[in-house]
Amino acid sequence: MARMKFLCDADRCIDCNACVTACKNENEVPWGINRRRVVTINDGKPGERSVSMACMHCTDAPCASVCPVKCIYPTDDGIVLHDKDLCIGCGYCFYACPFGAPQYPQVGNFGSRGKMDKCTYCAGGGGPEAPGSAEEYAKYGSNRFGEGKLPMCAEMCSTKSLLAGDGDIISQLYEERVEKRGYGSGAWGWTTAYHEDVKK
Amino acid sequence: MTAFARIRFAALLLMLFGLTTASVLAQTLGPDGAPNPTASVTNQRTLLEQAPRIQGRIDIPDVKASVLMQPMGRTWDYFHEVLLHWGAALVIVGMLAVLALAYLIMGRLRIEAGRSGEMIVRFKAFERFSHWLTAVSFVLLGLTGLNITFGKVLLRPLVGPDLFSDISQIAKYVHNFTSFAFVAGLALITVLFFRDNLFKRVDIDWVKQGGGFIKSKHAPAGRFNLGEKMVYWLSVAAGLLVSASGFVLLFPFYGTNIADMQIAQVAHAVIAILFIALILGHIYIGTLGMEGAFEAMGTGEVDINWAREHHDRWLAEKLEAEGRQASATPAE
Amino acid sequence: MLIRKSERRPERAKLSNADAGPSSSGLDRRTFLKRSGITAGALVAVGEISLHGVRQAEAGPPPPVGAPVTIRKNICTHCSVGCSVIAKVANGVWIGQEPDYDSPINRGSHCCKGAAVRDDVLNERRLRYPVKLVNGQWTRISWEKAIDEIGDKLLDIRQKAGPDSVYWLGSAKFTNEAAYLNRKLAAFWGTNNSDHQARICHSTTVTGVANTWGYGAMTNSYNDIRNAKTILLMGGNPAEAHPVSLQHILEGKELNRANMIVVDPRMTRTAAHATEYVRVRPGTHIATIYGMLWHIFENGWEDKEFLSQRVYGLDEVRKEIAKWPPKEVERVTGLPEAQVKHIAQLFATQKPATLIWAMGQTQFTTGTANVRASCLLLLATGNMGQPGAGANIFRGHTNVQGATDLGLDVTSLPLYYGLAEEAWRHWCRVWEIDYDWMKSRFPDKKLMETPGIPSTRWFDATLLPKNQISQPNPVQAMFIMGHGVNTITRMPEAVKGIEKLELLVVCDPYPTAWSVLSERKNGTYLLPACTSFEMEGSRTNSNRSLQWGEKIVDPVFEAKNDYDMMYMFARKFGFADLMFKNIKVENGAVSAEDILREINRGGWSTGYCGQSPERLKAHMRNQHKFDLVTLRAPKDDPEVGGEYYGLPWPCWGTPEFKHPGTPILYNTNLPVKEGGGTFRARFGVERVVKRKVMENGQEVEREDHDNLLAEGSYSVGSEIKDGYPEFTLGVLKKLGWDKDLTAQEFDVIARIKPADPDKVSWSTDLSGGIQRVAIEHGCSPYGNAKARMIAWNLPDPVPVHREPIYTPRPDLVADYPTLPDAKQFRVPNIGFSVQKAAVDRAIAKQFPLILSSGRLVEYEGGGEETRSNKWLAELKQHMYVEINPADAAERGIVDGGWVWVTGAENSSRARMKAQVTERVGKGVAWMPFHFAGWYEGADLRAKYPAGADPIVLGESVNTLTTYGYDPATGMQEPKATLCQIRAA
Repeated sequence: MARMKFLCDADRCIDCNACVTACKNENEVPWGINRRRVVTINDGKPGERSVSMACMHCTDAPCASVCPVKCIYPTDDGIVLHDKDLCIGCGYCFYACPFGAPQYPQVGNFGSRGKMDKCTYCAGGGGPEAPGSAEEYAKYGSNRFGEGKLPMCAEMCSTKSLLAGDGDIISQLYEERVEKRGYGSGAWGWTTAYHEDVKK
Repeated sequence: MTAFARIRFAALLLMLFGLTTASVLAQTLGPDGAPNPTASVTNQRTLLEQAPRIQGRIDIPDVKASVLMQPMGRTWDYFHEVLLHWGAALVIVGMLAVLALAYLIMGRLRIEAGRSGEMIVRFKAFERFSHWLTAVSFVLLGLTGLNITFGKVLLRPLVGPDLFSDISQIAKYVHNFTSFAFVAGLALITVLFFRDNLFKRVDIDWVKQGGGFIKSKHAPAGRFNLGEKMVYWLSVAAGLLVSASGFVLLFPFYGTNIADMQIAQVAHAVIAILFIALILGHIYIGTLGMEGAFEAMGTGEVDINWAREHHDRWLAEKLEAEGRQASATPAE
Repeated sequence: MLIRKSERRPERAKLSNADAGPSSSGLDRRTFLKRSGITAGALVAVGEISLHGVRQAEAGPPPPVGAPVTIRKNICTHCSVGCSVIAKVANGVWIGQEPDYDSPINRGSHCCKGAAVRDDVLNERRLRYPVKLVNGQWTRISWEKAIDEIGDKLLDIRQKAGPDSVYWLGSAKFTNEAAYLNRKLAAFWGTNNSDHQARICHSTTVTGVANTWGYGAMTNSYNDIRNAKTILLMGGNPAEAHPVSLQHILEGKELNRANMIVVDPRMTRTAAHATEYVRVRPGTHIATIYGMLWHIFENGWEDKEFLSQRVYGLDEVRKEIAKWPPKEVERVTGLPEAQVKHIAQLFATQKPATLIWAMGQTQFTTGTANVRASCLLLLATGNMGQPGAGANIFRGHTNVQGATDLGLDVTSLPLYYGLAEEAWRHWCRVWEIDYDWMKSRFPDKKLMETPGIPSTRWFDATLLPKNQISQPNPVQAMFIMGHGVNTITRMPEAVKGIEKLELLVVCDPYPTAWSVLSERKNGTYLLPACTSFEMEGSRTNSNRSLQWGEKIVDPVFEAKNDYDMMYMFARKFGFADLMFKNIKVENGAVSAEDILREINRGGWSTGYCGQSPERLKAHMRNQHKFDLVTLRAPKDDPEVGGEYYGLPWPCWGTPEFKHPGTPILYNTNLPVKEGGGTFRARFGVERVVKRKVMENGQEVEREDHDNLLAEGSYSVGSEIKDGYPEFTLGVLKKLGWDKDLTAQEFDVIARIKPADPDKVSWSTDLSGGIQRVAIEHGCSPYGNAKARMIAWNLPDPVPVHREPIYTPRPDLVADYPTLPDAKQFRVPNIGFSVQKAAVDRAIAKQFPLILSSGRLVEYEGGGEETRSNKWLAELKQHMYVEINPADAAERGIVDGGWVWVTGAENSSRARMKAQVTERVGKGVAWMPFHFAGWYEGADLRAKYPAGADPIVLGESVNTLTTYGYDPATGMQEPKATLCQIRAA
C-alpha cells in the first residue's frame, strides 16, 4: 500500500527556500506561519548542510497521540491531517513533534495560540469541509493530492532534493542516488518519523 | 511505546538542565586554513550522538524554528500519554482509596466533649477570602487541567468530540486565566499564615501524642498543628513550582527552548498531580474527616470545645488576649 | 454556544470512499517518477503506486464557481536561468502556479523567487497610478498628464542642452522586444546614453570574452554542465544567484563523480556542496589563474594541438605567466603552491572541464582582464567548443543577456553592430529610415559614433563641471525604466546627483529607492510599469535560448507595459510614425511579435534572425520534446524537429531557413547547420607586428604578418578545410559559391551597397543569402579564426594583475598599480590618483576590513520587488553584514547585534545587523546588495508613496562602496573595497 513520505536529500539541498514559498503560495499561508522551513546546520562551516523540514507525517504520529482533543489523525495514505474545528490551540503537538511542524497564529495577548496549522501534504484538511471546496481551502489550503498531484514544495524543489511520494519509491530513488554518487548523509528524520531508515 | 522510548525518557530526565546543542564537528581545514567542505559530511546520526537536538541557522524571526529535529518529542509524548496517564491515575485513585480507608476505619472524628455552643473566631473574613480564592481557583485549575490529560478518555466518549472540543477550549481559557487568581490567593495565604506555620517545639509533642488520631491521647497544638503546617508548606512549595512551570507554559518560548518547555510541562503535570492528592487529603479532613473543622473556613468561627481539643494552646492565647474566661467546662 | 457538530471526522481515520474520485486520477508511475525528478527508466522494479482515498479536487485556491481555469506559460522574471512559470488564471485573476515539468531548463523546479512570482503581480504594494512630487508630496496624476508634462520637460532639455543631457537607463527585466525598443527610442532621441544593468553585471565579460573568441556570452548551457568532469566555479555563487542551475551542476557532479571546485572569498552555499573549496582574497583572480597556468605549462598539461590550431598569441601570454611562480602567487593571493597545483591539474587533465563565473570576476577595475584570464585558462587546456567544457558565464537578471544583445549599451546599436557609420546605416535600412534624418537627431556625427556614459557614472556626468565631460552639457534628466539606484556604487554621490537633476522619471512596478533617497521636492515622476507577466514577449536566458512568454493577466491597477509606454512617449516626441513604421499599433497597444520580426530582420550579426515569434511559440508548446542534456528535439518531429530548445543564438538565416540554433558555441564537432561553429574571424585575417629579432648578430626590427585564421581546424562538413575569413559577397564570388544565391537574394544585396555589392557581408545582408550559402557549404558565416590570447585593442592586451583601488595590501600597489588616469566614456577615470591617495593616506589602516557584496537567494537586484513580496520578505527581514568571529571578537560584536559600518569615502556609514560567521575569512566583511530604504541609519519609509513601501527596508551596501572603474567598460568595483565595523 502506498504510504506517503517526505525525504530531503541534504546533499542536494541548497537552502534556496523554494519549498517554503511554494507552500506559502499554494496554500496562501499567512505571514508568521511556516509550514515548511529550511534549517542550515554548521552554517558557513565545513560540513554545512541544509535540510528542508515540515510535518513528516510520522508513523505513530506523536502529535496525534498527545492531542487532548484527538483532532489529529492519519489517513490510509499515511498523511497526518487535523480538524481545525476541534483544535483548541493547546500547543501540545508542538512539544511532541520531533520536527517543529505545528504552527499557531497568535491570538490575543501573550503566548495564546490559535488553531494549529501545519503541512497537510497539500491534501486539504481533516475537517468536515467538502474536498476541494473554497471552505476547505480557506482553512487548510489546497488539495493537490485529490488531483493526483504531490505537495507543491517537493514539486518545485530547485535541485530535486526534496522528494515526496510513496515511501518505498522515494527511498529507492534516494538509495540509487547514493549508490551512483558514492555519498549520502542519510534520510533526515526518517528513523524518528517512520521507525525505519533508508538502507544507505 | 517501546523500551527504546523508555530509555530515552530516562535520558530526558537526566538532561533536565543546561541543554546546549551547538553541534561541534571536528573542523578539517584546507592547507590555507580555509574550511574544506568535503572533509566532513554532516549526518544526523553523528549529530544526534552529540546532542539531543539538531539545531542550525534559520533567518526567520521564529527562533524555535531553528531546531531541525528533536526526537525527544516522542519521549515527551510517551511521558504524557503513558507515564502521566497511569501515574496520575494511580496517585489520585490511590489517594481517594487511602481516604476512603481512613473513613472506614476511623470514621468521622467527633468533638469528644460535644459542642459547647460557644464560638470563637478562628479565621477572619480576609483570611477566609484568601483561602477560598485559592481553593476555588485550585479546583477550577485542577479540573480543567485534568481534562487536558484525562478528558479524552473520560469525558469525550460521553459528550462527543464537538462538545468536548468546545468544553476543552473553554477549559483552556479558564485554566489560563484562573492561574492569576490562584497565584494571588497563594501569595495571600503564604503571607497571612506564614507566622503561625513556623515550626515550634509543641509540634514535636503533637507528633508524640499521635497527632490527634489516637483518641486516648491529647495532642497539643498552636493555631496550626504540624499536620496543617505540613499542608501549608507543601502547598506553598507545590504552588510555587506549579505556578512557575505554569507561567513558562503560558508564555511559550519566551526565552525558553523546546526542551525547557517539555521539562516545564513534565514538572507542571507531576507537581500538579501530587498537589491534587495533597489537597484531596486536606479537603477530606476539613470536611468529612473531622467534625467542626469546616466551619472554621465556613463561617470563620469554631466551637470552643473543638478548639480546645485540637488547638489548645492557640485557644488559651486567644482567650487571654481577649481577656475572657472559657465558660464551658474543661474536659477532664 | 456549545453547538454539536456533525459526528466525528477523525474517527473515520481515512477519507471516506464517498469522497474518492475515480482511481484514474491517482498518480501513475511515470508521472510520479517525473515529478520526483527521475527520467523514465531509472527505476525498474517499482510497482505502480496506488493512492488510497484520493479525492477529486482542483489544486490551489478553487476558482469561483463556474469560472473556467486557463493555463498560461511565461518565464520567471528573476535570474537568467529562464525557468518556465505556469499560471492558472480564472476570471482574469492569477489564482495559482503549477510546476512546468516539460521545460528542459527547470523541469518544474523553482527557487523561492520563482515559486513566489504570483505575488509579484498580485502585490498590493505595487505602484498603482502615476504620481509626481509636488512640493515634496506624492500627488496622483493621469497618464496623459504625466506623458505631457514629462515630454514637454524632456523636449525642453533637448532644446536647451542637447539630446545627450537626457539619460535613458533601461532594464535587464525588459523583454527582448522592450529592450530593443528602448535602444531604438534612445537612437531616435539622438543619444548613445542608453544603458542597463549589464554595465554593473557582465559588461566586462561581454567585452573580455567577445574580444577573445567572437561573442560575449555563455558558450555552453546550464544543462550541458551535466557533461563536465571538472566544474570550476570562480567568482560565482549559483546556489543563491541561480539556484535551479544547481540542479544541473549537482546532478552532473553526481553522475560523473565530477570534481566541483569553488574558488571564492566566502564559503558559499555553493561551496558547501563542492569537492574542494579554495578561499582567496577578493581581487586576485588574475594572479590565481596565472598561478594555475604556471603549473599547467610547467608540467605540460596544456592542450598543444588546440593551442596550435585554434589559439593566437600564446607566446606573449607565456611571458606574463613566467612572472607568476608559486612564491609570487602565494605572496599576492595567499594560496599555497600545492593547492594551486592541485586545482590546475584537475582542470587541465580531468576533462571536459568547465569554468563558471558571475560577478565575482566581473565587478572589479580589472573585470575585463579577469574574464580574459579565465579565457586563457580555458584555451590553454583546450576546454572550449565541446560538450561539458566552455565558459559557462551565468548572467544575472532574467533578460540581461537579451537586453545586452539588443543594444542597451552605450557602445553599440542592437546586436553588437557598434556605433560606426556602417552600423547606423545598417539599422536605418532595417528601420527604413533615412540615414541623414537619423544623423540630424544627434548634435553631430562624432557624438553619434561616440560611446555614451556608462550607468555607473551617470551622477558623475551630472555633477562634474561641464569642461570635464565630453558632451555638450552634463546629464540633466534621468529616464529610468526598471533599474535600481542602490545597485550602483558610491551612493552618497548618487544622492547628490539625484538632487541636481532637473527631471527624474522612474517607470517601474515599484517606487524604488530613486524615489526616496534625496531631498527632491519637485520634478520627479513615478510611472507604474507592469511586470513581464502582464505582457507578451521573448526573453533570452543565459545560455542564449529565447523563450516566449504569454501574457498571464492584464496589467494590474493603472500599470502599462513597456511597449505601450514607449509608444506614448514616441508619439509625444513626434516620431512615433517613423519609429513604429513596421510595428503594428492598435488602439495604443503595440505588437510585441512585430518588434521581434523587426529584430529578426536586422539581427544577422548575432544570429537573432531565425527566431521568429511563430518558431518560439512552437518551442513553448513542445517543451517536453527537448532532451535534458543536449536540449535537442528529435529530428523527426514535425514542428521542432532537430532544433535546440529556445533556438539559442546564433540561429542563422531567415526563420524559413530553419537553423536549429547553436547550443554550444565554437563547437567544431558539429556541422554549422546542426549548431556547430568555429571561433569568429572578428579581428581580421592577419596581424602585423613589429618584432625585434637578431639577424646576423644584429638586432633588427622585423615586420611579422601573424596569421589569425585557424590552422587545420574546421567544423564538421566544412568545404574549406582550414581557416577562412568572414563571408562577403566578394568572398562568395572568389569561391564560386555566389551562383548559389537566388535572384531575390542578389537583388536585396545589390540594393544594400549599390556601389560596391562585394562588400556586403553576412551581417549586413538583409536577405540572409550570404549566411545561407556559407552554411550550406558547411562554413560559419563569420569565418573560422583563432581565439585571441592577446587582445591588442584592450587596455591590457594580456591580462595583468592590478590591485583593487582600495586594497588591503598597499605594499603590493607599487608592483601592481591600477592603470593611469584617463578619460573614458565621456568622463574622467581617476582610479590611479584615488589608489595612490589611499595608499599615501594609509586608508587600509583606518579601514582594515575588505568589504565585498553579493546576492541572497530570496532577493533580486535592487530588491524593491522581492522585498515587497510577502512570501519572500518574511524570509530575510534585516540587512546584515557577515563578519568573521575573530574580527567580531576584536570589536565586541555579537551575532545578531547592531553595528555601524563605515566606508572609505564620503565619511559614509550604514547601520545594520551583524552575522558572525566563519563563512567569511578573517579580514573580510560581506553584505548582500538588495537592500534600500534606509540611508546612513535613517529609515526612509515615510518618504515612499503611501502604501507602496516595500515590506523590508535596510541599508544599501553601496552607501559604503567606493571609486573604481574598469577602463574598458566602466564597470564599478563593489566586490573589493575597504570598511571598518564597530558595535552600535
